[in-house]
Amino acid sequence: MSQTITRRAVLKNLAGIVGGILAMPAARTCKAAVQNALASSPAPTGYDPFKHKWLMALDVDRCIGCGLCVEACCEENGVPEGHWRTWIERYVIKKPDPASGKARGETIVDSPDGGKKGFPPLLIPKEDILKSFFVPKLCNLCDHSPCTQVCPVGATFDAPDGAVLVDGKYCIGCGFCIQACPYGCRFLNPETHTAEKCNLCYHRITRGLKPACVEICPSQARVFGDLKNPVPDMENDPLRQFIAKNKVEELKPSLGTGPRVAYAGLDEVVR
Amino acid sequence: MHDTILTNLVDALPQFEGYVYPNERTLHPLWSVLIVVYPYITGLVAGAFIMASLVRVFKVKALEPIYRLALLTALAFLLCATLPLLFHLGHPERCFEIMMTPHFSSPMAMFGFVYAWYLMAVLLLELWFDYRRDFVEWSKTQTGLRGIIYRAFTLGVTDLSEPALRLDAKMGRIISIVGIPSAILLHGYVGFIFGSIKANPWWGNPLMPIIFILSAVVSGMALCVFAYMFLCWARRVTADMRCLDLMISFLFYAVVLDAAVEGLDWLHRLYSAEEGIEVLKEVASSKLFYTLLIGQACLGTLVPLLLLGTMQLIRKKVAELNRRRVYFASTVLILIGVLAMRWNVVIGGQLFSKSLRGFMSYKMEFAGHEGWWLSLALLALPFVILTLFIKYFLAQDLPHD
Amino acid sequence: MRAGLPCCTRENEPERKSRWNIRRCLERRGMTRLLKMPPQIIRLVLLTIGIVCVYFTARFFLTPQSFGQYGHYRADALQDIASRQPYWAGKAACVACHPDHAAKLASGEHKTLSCETCHGPGRAHVERPDEKLPKLNMSLCVRCHEASPSRPSWLHQIKVQNHYTGSLCTECHVPHQPNEVPP
Repeated sequence: MSQTITRRAVLKNLAGIVGGILAMPAARTCKAAVQNALASSPAPTGYDPFKHKWLMALDVDRCIGCGLCVEACCEENGVPEGHWRTWIERYVIKKPDPASGKARGETIVDSPDGGKKGFPPLLIPKEDILKSFFVPKLCNLCDHSPCTQVCPVGATFDAPDGAVLVDGKYCIGCGFCIQACPYGCRFLNPETHTAEKCNLCYHRITRGLKPACVEICPSQARVFGDLKNPVPDMENDPLRQFIAKNKVEELKPSLGTGPRVAYAGLDEVVR
Repeated sequence: MHDTILTNLVDALPQFEGYVYPNERTLHPLWSVLIVVYPYITGLVAGAFIMASLVRVFKVKALEPIYRLALLTALAFLLCATLPLLFHLGHPERCFEIMMTPHFSSPMAMFGFVYAWYLMAVLLLELWFDYRRDFVEWSKTQTGLRGIIYRAFTLGVTDLSEPALRLDAKMGRIISIVGIPSAILLHGYVGFIFGSIKANPWWGNPLMPIIFILSAVVSGMALCVFAYMFLCWARRVTADMRCLDLMISFLFYAVVLDAAVEGLDWLHRLYSAEEGIEVLKEVASSKLFYTLLIGQACLGTLVPLLLLGTMQLIRKKVAELNRRRVYFASTVLILIGVLAMRWNVVIGGQLFSKSLRGFMSYKMEFAGHEGWWLSLALLALPFVILTLFIKYFLAQDLPHD
Repeated sequence: MRAGLPCCTRENEPERKSRWNIRRCLERRGMTRLLKMPPQIIRLVLLTIGIVCVYFTARFFLTPQSFGQYGHYRADALQDIASRQPYWAGKAACVACHPDHAAKLASGEHKTLSCETCHGPGRAHVERPDEKLPKLNMSLCVRCHEASPSRPSWLHQIKVQNHYTGSLCTECHVPHQPNEVPP
């Protein structure tokens, strides 16, 4: 059992050690090259997502159904035709048939082109209408979002600042999140083949701007604010005022998704 | 001329009635025919494996003739299982992400691991232990490509002593036992994908995974019977009637159980009549009239139940040839019925809006990456692979048994 | 355990054909019990270890760097998404150069409007002030003010077909201060 150390053995050992040392940087370079496709591009500096908590609230009584918000969003985010990140629904509740003994009549809902070019005149005569109103819809910024729960790869996620985002470079386009959203706010982009949805104009809010729909809305039906950084003068913070003044509701509460978007002036027919 | 332009334009636009969310107004459903084919294929795998495990785990000796055929059927279909998913993904080149960064709260993330586990640790392993002796013997006699294949599959283990063979049998049994919950997991997670979607009142339901598993077992068993009868006919050999009768018995009771649970699902829905029941009733009775009421319920369930139930009662009085005809017809109907069930759940669940106020009408395309031709090709491919398997691995006379 | 180690060199085992001698190595380490395992099990265990190694190697290479930093997602995605260029300039950008118009607007009923609501996207003008914005289209007034039973009662609404057809809205109304009448 003599341990013969030959020159051959020593050279082999040395070669192994040197190879091992060289392999690690080579592996790292390969890894960087492989991940090149996922490299990021310049973005606003100095934004800390943990220092903000964004929320949008909607006042149904202030929405006039002009659809300018839908157009503004499509232009801001390059939303493809036939898909919507935000849209407006028009609800018409008819007067009941007196013989039926019902309090309210039929409810008719429409959203032509998502309300992008406004709404055409109603075909129902005015005398038959009991109530009619517009409801803007968008991502509900759920606390327990079913969409992020079901993403198999981690391409859609709850950002620390309250927005629910989609990583377009990582999404595999399986469509599970689109099926899981109860509010219909997601779609598959036919050009990028990835899931897409309202992201609160993340590129605007990180720069201190407001989302495009909030910016353009002529009647302050959309109220946007930062729960962690309210405007110092509480009277001037529109979100705080809205929440203090109104009784608010959420959409589809029975599903337990914890939607944070607060609606004021909703009716029970709205889904 | 303006009329034709208008008609063509209208046809090119998405069709819907009532109110549907704007993002639901697409020309084609998001989860289309390919997502109908995928659960069908994994269901056949799970069911065929359960049939094979009846031999090893429950020691049903009479089913010995179909043991290898059942396992090879399961393997042929499992090899093709990922194809519909790859064709469906928006970015199939990123498919590896599901195994590199799986999001464990998502049932879909389980796919990579469950599939890999079932393929390697259950199916291939069980087949290897069963075939090892044959591989060693065949590799000694066969030359050329076949010889190389057999030699490769021995993995270099050429020990054919008694203790080695006893170990093979013991390992086969252990793997079969482990394989039953694995098979249930393989197809159960697909049912859970649908069952977990609370946003959809048809899909989001605890019975959904159970219904998927039971109909998978039914379809897999029917496929084994079908493959066995077809193989006997192709080789001009009489089928082992004792084996066939027993397979059909198991199939019958599986169909009874499956029909009971599916019936329970609908009964409970109609009875508790929660929000959305009107929309579901409309979809089931009018939009899915041919595929659900005629295809799945009548032809796929009731008729086979009647035929096979009658056979269970008067089997001894019926001539063998007629019995075989009834069995063959029943299995074909069952296979079509289970495919119809997958169609009804997947496509039917996307025919109504989540606003519960409207319905969508989709156009099914023939060509294209979610079209009929591709789905038919993907359904035919496993049969082609199975034929190759039978040619190489299911010889006329086996060295033993 | 590599072929270069002294205990496995050819000098010690001249009669064996293979360079690796697993048996001798295991004997030296007192792990001969492993040899008693059936060959099928050994091969399968080695194969499994190989597959698991391949998996973890692939995972090392193919997982993005920033994954898992904040949660189960690529933290770099936040920057990717935020790096898109904004389209609308925002009211604050207009007010910075046009405080007089902004003050007039703030005193009337149109105070809730942003400049770009009517004037269109203003980023080009903010970056290059010599580039004026396009002239306004009067259809914009109608878009908000056309009467509809769905619109709330606080909004001033007109039935366009009955309301001074043929004239421009600005002949009687001042958009920046709707309560005023033009001279």
